[in-house]
Amino acid sequence: MMHSNRWRIAVFFLAIFGMGLLAGNVIAKEVIFLDLSDYTGPVAGLALPGSMGTEDYLKYINAKGGVDGVQIKYMGVDTRYDVARAISAFKRQRRNKKVVATGIVSTPVGKMMQALTKKERLVTHVPGDGEFQAHPGNFFAWGPVYQDAFSATIDWILDDWKKKSKSGAPKVAVLSWDSAYGREMLRGGKEYAEMKGVEILPSELFPPGSLKHDVYLTRLDKAGADYIYVGGVDPVQTNVMRDATALGLTKKIQFISDYWGPTALGISLHPDALEGMVVVSFFLRGQEAFDNPLMKELWTTVRKQPMDKFNEGYGIGVGAGMNLEGALKDAIKRVGAGKVSREEVWKSYQNLAGMSHAGISGPCTYGPKNRNGSEVVKFYRVTGGKIVPITDWVKTPDAVSLHNW
Amino acid sequence: MWRPCGIFDATYEKDMAIIRTPRHWSALVVSLVILFLVPLFGSYYIVSFINYLAISVIVVLGLQVVSGYCGQISFGQAAFMAVGGYTSAVLTQKFGLSFWVALPLSGIFTGIYGLIGGAPSLRIKGFYLAVATIAIHFVTMWLLLHLEITGKSVGITVDSPSVGSFVFDTDERMFYIIMPIMLLMTFAARNLVRTRVGRAFVAVRDNDLAAQVMGINLYYYKLLAFFISCFYAGIAGSLWAHLTLVCHPEQFTLIHALWFIGMLIVGGMGSIPGVFFGVLFVRIIDELVLIFSPYLADWFPWLGMAPAAGLGMSAFGLVLAWFLIKEPRGLAHRWEILKASSRLYPFAY
Repeated sequence: MMHSNRWRIAVFFLAIFGMGLLAGNVIAKEVIFLDLSDYTGPVAGLALPGSMGTEDYLKYINAKGGVDGVQIKYMGVDTRYDVARAISAFKRQRRNKKVVATGIVSTPVGKMMQALTKKERLVTHVPGDGEFQAHPGNFFAWGPVYQDAFSATIDWILDDWKKKSKSGAPKVAVLSWDSAYGREMLRGGKEYAEMKGVEILPSELFPPGSLKHDVYLTRLDKAGADYIYVGGVDPVQTNVMRDATALGLTKKIQFISDYWGPTALGISLHPDALEGMVVVSFFLRGQEAFDNPLMKELWTTVRKQPMDKFNEGYGIGVGAGMNLEGALKDAIKRVGAGKVSREEVWKSYQNLAGMSHAGISGPCTYGPKNRNGSEVVKFYRVTGGKIVPITDWVKTPDAVSLHNW
Repeated sequence: MWRPCGIFDATYEKDMAIIRTPRHWSALVVSLVILFLVPLFGSYYIVSFINYLAISVIVVLGLQVVSGYCGQISFGQAAFMAVGGYTSAVLTQKFGLSFWVALPLSGIFTGIYGLIGGAPSLRIKGFYLAVATIAIHFVTMWLLLHLEITGKSVGITVDSPSVGSFVFDTDERMFYIIMPIMLLMTFAARNLVRTRVGRAFVAVRDNDLAAQVMGINLYYYKLLAFFISCFYAGIAGSLWAHLTLVCHPEQFTLIHALWFIGMLIVGGMGSIPGVFFGVLFVRIIDELVLIFSPYLADWFPWLGMAPAAGLGMSAFGLVLAWFLIKEPRGLAHRWEILKASSRLYPFAY
């Protein structure tokens, strides 16, 4: 009886050992993308569709057999814009070698992670802080950094000013969140504007969550603003435009939204308030996004949702997924699937220049000294309840190098 | 627990002692040995999670003093923690002071700052005081975002503490700073509430008018409670800054203050062990959501990753509502019942 029990125990442990070996084989065939995103906090309007885009694109790649046989698992964590929670989630996976890249949709979490991971070569996707372009490390922006997009907007403003045959120089103001993100575009962007002879009025910054902006708008109007660049994640822009319309300012001031302004869904809900607003974007907006074949396929076949529920922010995540796929392909080609490490993926991210994003955004421009996801933006205008393109892709100036970091 | 019927305190000293029996002592020693061995044998994740818990315990201990014992509701604890973190960051990074000097100074400065936060308690109480402390939170955040010395919206990058050439640059090493401080502060809080000061706090909480009639100086004790509470928050903020290596206003939001209050409610107001129960319970629930949400998304693909991961706040809300309805005295009360019944065992409680 005793002997048979020993055999049973031995067989049991051998079986576990065998499963461990099998699992070991699986590990080499899977890498993880850890997405520290905000699904329920103040930037969820931006983060959620973006995360869905990455998740769906990775599922799509995996269904096709992965990247040269390596599957990319999407692991999403709702940080709620909470730094402590993000750290906790990151630390749990920090020594998991399968995690080869992370995504962060939060300026404070990004800053914290930069300090924590400065010794590591863990690729981290971030929205658009110029700081990461100024000091190239393991942080890669989704598109052109904020100050570069702001500078492209300054160029557009000068063109618009000329077209309107106005004399003198336009006065531009920034109305944005009172946060690190809200001021980021001016670190280099202000220097660029001054270089172009454009006066930047003192910024009006308000706490995230503010619903009324009359005071700030009135002050900017009194200061003589011709153009107001609005930062924040929609519905911020919608609320600002609602107040501006009520104050009668939209007739004399041109409002321009940064990347995270209204989507087609938001515009369809508040067409009158948003009428005339210009949006600068590094990813497709409006009908152009709806017509993009890749996004259409992903949204309807992977997400299994009708197109009337589509959000253009989805494209940001799809682009990030494509970058990871491209880097993984490059790393596998260089060192083989069994030797793909964080370091190798980091090296490969710097070889992605020229990679296409299926038309969703400009071609990738990551390089050894470049952390811009792309270097082109497009301008759109809300017209008749729709967001329509008013320019083609426009090259963004390098404003980061103008700032004293 | 472990103090069965029949053991009596024959001397005044014995009656006053926190650790009373040889069993208590041996349990304490064994627990401490195990605790301090965790960084050597535990995983990196466990160690970092314990650090996070310990810092939360220090903050909530402070909140327990001012709210649980003295009855002054404060929503300013996250802001006070920020003040402590920034003080330490400024002192070490801009004035070149050692972390070991900056740490107590952060507590003291935050305590003094807390006197401003506590000042409204001299005139108002209850909900009105709660709203006043919320105002203190926003004023503090505004200052941190706009003052040159705090790095404005960019924040301050902080270095790891060091002793000579030994740098506490990993979570395992930081554990040996955070844990003794947490234990020391727990011991201090446990003793404080048994002193004349602690009894005055309870008197103020239970009936401030009666307390004043008995000769307790309300102003003095209310401000003292705020000072102590903020001292704790300041120490926790300093540790947090040197653990995460960055100080940024968005690390200390009003939501964090709400979580601290939630921990207090779940653990039990007016109980030092309650702080541990509350922090452990809430943080573990939060971690479980983090751990299980990816599996939920795997098991129910139609749910998608994002909604599954977003269940955390719902879980927190449900737990809080359940405690408010079913166990308003918190887990500490359950613990007391458990202790009492174990002493009487095998007789029914």
